[in-house]
Amino acid sequence: MVVYPDWAALAPALALAVTGLVLLLIDSVDPDDSRPGLLAGTAVVGTLVSLGYAGWFLASGTGQVDGGTGAISLYRDALVVDGMALFFQAVFAVVTALVCIASYDYLKERAYQAEFYSLVMFAATGMAVMATANSLATAFIALELASLPSYALVAFLKHNRGSVEASLKYFLIGALSSAVFAFGISLVYAATGSLLLADVASALSALDGGLTGVAAIGVLMVAGGFAFKTASVPFHFWAPEAYEGAPAPISAFLSSASKAAGFAVLFRVFTTAFPLDAAGVDWMLLFQVLAVVTMTLGNFAAATQETVKRMLAYSSIGHAGYALIGLAAWSGGAPGSVENGAVLGASMAHLLVYGFMNTGAFLFVALAEQWDVGRTFEDYAGLGSRAPMASVAMTVFMFSLAGVPPFGGFFSKLFLFAGAVDAGFWWLAAVGVVNSTLSLYYYSRVVKALWVDDPVGEFELGGTPTGLYVAVVFAAVGTLLLLPGFAPVIETAQSVAAALVP
Amino acid sequence: MVPAEWYLILAAAVFCIGVFGLLTRQNALLFLMSVELMLNAANINLAAFSYYWGNVTGQTFGLFVMALAAAEVAVGIGIILVLYRNFSAVDVTDATTMRW
Repeated sequence: MVVYPDWAALAPALALAVTGLVLLLIDSVDPDDSRPGLLAGTAVVGTLVSLGYAGWFLASGTGQVDGGTGAISLYRDALVVDGMALFFQAVFAVVTALVCIASYDYLKERAYQAEFYSLVMFAATGMAVMATANSLATAFIALELASLPSYALVAFLKHNRGSVEASLKYFLIGALSSAVFAFGISLVYAATGSLLLADVASALSALDGGLTGVAAIGVLMVAGGFAFKTASVPFHFWAPEAYEGAPAPISAFLSSASKAAGFAVLFRVFTTAFPLDAAGVDWMLLFQVLAVVTMTLGNFAAATQETVKRMLAYSSIGHAGYALIGLAAWSGGAPGSVENGAVLGASMAHLLVYGFMNTGAFLFVALAEQWDVGRTFEDYAGLGSRAPMASVAMTVFMFSLAGVPPFGGFFSKLFLFAGAVDAGFWWLAAVGVVNSTLSLYYYSRVVKALWVDDPVGEFELGGTPTGLYVAVVFAAVGTLLLLPGFAPVIETAQSVAAALVP
Repeated sequence: MVPAEWYLILAAAVFCIGVFGLLTRQNALLFLMSVELMLNAANINLAAFSYYWGNVTGQTFGLFVMALAAAEVAVGIGIILVLYRNFSAVDVTDATTMRW
């Protein structure tokens, strides 16, 4: 039997990084973007290889507790490959693959395609490393690796004022929050003398009076840094602007993969490094407040929007609120008990389902932009009869995002709210249910526009972009397949989440 | 020897100057400088407490923060450049084609 070196466990991240470099190589050999198919194909193959590795490792037990090798620590514990890291890496790979397929049509006739794909790959690499980060230092650097290419990608349409403005706002808030994050890390280091998550936890538990306040401020600032990445209150201002102004495939990428990456590192850092009783601040209460405010604000703001893309942006903030429940209701009970993983795992499963349905919804918006039908709800009127397949897919996404029963989004929300109730936070679940009900209003506006309303004027759809169609339909199939396939997903998510809890 | 708390106060002061600049300035370049100040406040802490704890973790991470600050400025200047081309100004309050 072949014995693989330990670093081979990083294969999902390495595959993405190598793909990014190969794309740059192709670009230097053939600099005039004459083979868009080759670039898109390379990017898609690279993400599928990454997905394959992540899936294979998950199935074979690499890094997992049950029937596997146990968590693999690399580079003096700076990185760790465990079930949670692999789960999230699979999510990133799926979303990135969908985005790359869709970008093939979106980027036609545009310059700098190779740069676009390689920036997407490098951002995805950063996200994959974020999921494995086991030290505050690697968490910070991976977060920046994911952020810096994203700023450039949002400004990709550099002659479009909206795109540039979106990028500026994204960058300004990103730079601010990364400075806050870095300062928070420096305070945690000041109090504990270490950056490794496990050492930080033990040093916090042994902390004597004087530095507790410093540690508490540090923990709050670190939470602020993650709030930016996950587009949660109070660092959510960038999200509606960046998602509205960015090229639609990039909006899909940021709102699904980037958000999931923020949650991956948020879950690991807070469950591992900051023990509830010793962090000097009750961060569960903090996340309960943030979860309630984030989902309420996101859903109410979404209900008042006129353009579909901006509505989706606010709904994305709302979904960050749902996912925060995973941490807000994390009970920190007896070591190794099953209940600890349940609600966190449900939150992870929700992020996976969200990866499919939200990416799909934004890609449908990309399709509409490609056809030039307009941005508001009214402009979508009558699309149902002109583009039935894509409209059926969009209907699936909308109902799934709202959490209407026979779709994937229903089950993930059900498990999430049930987990919150089990953990004793029935009021969190209640707020979530009320918000979900409200969200049905604005999601069904899209469905109504697609199928019921009559179009305002006559218009022709310009062509059928194959790649976009494939991506949208594939995302819809994924959302539907998560219906029968939800049991293994939630089991995997909950077992890897339970392994995370010390 | 200067007590460790003084470094914390110094770093906090530098950080607050950065936040103040960020909230009051409208020029995007001054905004970048303010962010630099905030990152350097973190570096002061890291270097001071690296000495306090007797390990080099903090100093090493400080180097990483500096490198990242440089990378961030590189991307930021690029964005400010396209901002100037589109809006003919580097005023962050000019770019308001979308609602906040």
